[in-house]
Amino acid sequence: MRLLLVEDEHDIQEFLKHSLEEAGYQVEAASDGITAERLAIDGAFDILIVDLGLPDQDGITLIFRLRQLGVRAPVLILSARRSVDDRVRGLEQGGDDYLTKPFALAELLARLRNLLKRNSPAGNEATRLRVLDLELDLLRREASRSGHVLQLTPQEFVLLEYFCRNAGRVVTRSMILDQVWGMRIHPETNVVDVHIYRLRGKVDNVGQQPLIRTLRGVGYVLKDR
Amino acid sequence: MSSKTASPKLHSAAWRISLWASLAFAFGTMLVFFFLQRFVEQDIQRRSDAWLSGEVEVLGNVATRTPKDRLYGRVVGEVAELASREVPNKLPSETDRNDSVFFLQRGSDDSLQLWVGVGSGQDTLTAIVGTKLVPGQPTDVRIEGFAVPFRVACIQVVDGSRIYLGLSERDELRVLRNLRIRFMLLWFLIVLFGFAIVFLTTRRMLSHVRRITDAASRIGHTDLNTRVPTTKRNDEVAQLALTLNRMLDRIENSMHQLHTITDSLAHDLRSPLTAIRGKLEMSLGASIHGEQAEPIVSAIEELDRLTEFLNQSLDVAEAKADALRLTRIDIELDELLRVMTALYEPSMAEKGLQIGLHSANPVVIGADASLIHRMIANLFDNELKHLPAACTITIRLQAEEESVSIVFEDNGPGFSSDVMPHLFERRVKGKSSNGHGLGLAFIDAVARAHGGTVTACNRETGGAQVTVTLPRDTSVQGGSPIGMVQAVR
Repeated sequence: MRLLLVEDEHDIQEFLKHSLEEAGYQVEAASDGITAERLAIDGAFDILIVDLGLPDQDGITLIFRLRQLGVRAPVLILSARRSVDDRVRGLEQGGDDYLTKPFALAELLARLRNLLKRNSPAGNEATRLRVLDLELDLLRREASRSGHVLQLTPQEFVLLEYFCRNAGRVVTRSMILDQVWGMRIHPETNVVDVHIYRLRGKVDNVGQQPLIRTLRGVGYVLKDR
Repeated sequence: MSSKTASPKLHSAAWRISLWASLAFAFGTMLVFFFLQRFVEQDIQRRSDAWLSGEVEVLGNVATRTPKDRLYGRVVGEVAELASREVPNKLPSETDRNDSVFFLQRGSDDSLQLWVGVGSGQDTLTAIVGTKLVPGQPTDVRIEGFAVPFRVACIQVVDGSRIYLGLSERDELRVLRNLRIRFMLLWFLIVLFGFAIVFLTTRRMLSHVRRITDAASRIGHTDLNTRVPTTKRNDEVAQLALTLNRMLDRIENSMHQLHTITDSLAHDLRSPLTAIRGKLEMSLGASIHGEQAEPIVSAIEELDRLTEFLNQSLDVAEAKADALRLTRIDIELDELLRVMTALYEPSMAEKGLQIGLHSANPVVIGADASLIHRMIANLFDNELKHLPAACTITIRLQAEEESVSIVFEDNGPGFSSDVMPHLFERRVKGKSSNGHGLGLAFIDAVARAHGGTVTACNRETGGAQVTVTLPRDTSVQGGSPIGMVQAVR
């Protein structure tokens, strides 16, 4: 996957490039709009990350220019601004996404995956998900582990489904709140942890290999091997 | 707004102004006419008195000089007849006979010596005898059989008899009546015309003021782009509009500056935060485990708290200046509260708290989803952080005609008396609170930005109560409510 990173802050560009390469992307970086434009036309990128506050031009202007020049790849917008202005919302509806700074790396990676998936032709939607000995029947809304049916509430099922779809990848509390509860909030209390704790109590029984792992300071991960 | 009252025209300033102006005008012109009529009346009487005095003198002379023979009656009668043809203000009589003038000679023994006029003259004689008449001073005399009094002048003749010349005031009164009728008609038309002109002019002027009011009231807390309508004329109303617009320009300018400051502050703090967070996450790679990771993990958690604090602080600051920017969409509060309750219920149960939601019907309001979500999460967080175990929280959603209320009640210890007066101020928190003291200030800020209010108090039965009231009429037209739960695809 070829990725164009347009970010003027040297520190952020550096750690993003490093982390993205570690995650398997081929990263080209640009620090201003002109360079970004030149790179975007020359090389065929699968996805772009564009910071809104560029030294020579506005990030949105750059995206509009790139679209005019025929760049079709999806764009993940990074914004350090407080409010997400209407033009960004417009882009979001056009298939692009945005993320406000600061962000968790796991969330950035998840959003990139979503953008790439949205852009590729949809495969047949699976009706069953399987992670190790955990199995989810999406039609009957039923989960089982090692053949034993788990007694989950509808909400817990949605949460487990989200974990399974992101098996092996880190998910943060913000991502869970956004994707499972549909809210971009940052509670001061441990609301998400209690849900995970309850779910873990049902999924990881005594004597079984624990599947849901806590990565302190980062989030959670559902083991897939 | 006055346009919503039952009879807006009767309550409008234009109506009142034109009513009072017309009343003053009508009263004034009526007064002028009254004096004018008095003047005309006196003038007409003066003229007829002068005529009467002159004629009665002539007749007296004639009567004195004419010998008292057979022809006396005819000569004097002829002269009297001639005089009656020159009556002032004379209008054509309804009958052929001249009944507006009479001539009468009364002997010293009160006998009727000579009569020129309609009828026998006996009634006239009786009336004259009954009235005290001074020669040379015409007086009104009422005669039986005549509706209108006669103006009668008299003169003493040498032989002791008196000569009376009477002139009916009928014509005079008719002239005055005609004058009155015409004036009334014209007066009525002029007053009506004046009223219409004043009403239309003031209404036109005031309708501009109303347009300004409407436009100004539409310019809400955050919508400062629109301006009140202006006109090309240079009158007071146009000045008002221009002044308002200049004021709005200044407000928008300072608002813009505030946004620039908060935005650049947010930007300048967020960029390094992003870099720090990223580096911390990188160093938390697979190689570090257990106790080594602990400081990094807590640093990341501190950073996230700092970021949230930064966001809320700036939101509260902007809301205090009425400058919080909203992106309104339709939000279904009933469902939102259900989802939030489901989200917080396990944490509450963990702490031994019970939670109950009382909400019946879907309630849709147009509001900023992100801010409303964070506001409600704050309300839940407050309860979760401050309530001791075994308490019950009751959440009620009440929909009224104009507004929606979200009520959070508990049976805990309530707000302590030392924080009570400063609940909505920044950095106010209870002694045992470990939050950053922005909770209620933020809730208040969001409610205010949406044109609503927050009240917090201790219940009589014990426990705290926080009520957020939001206006209802802000629903986004044509928008569909955003569902809260997004099942993962």
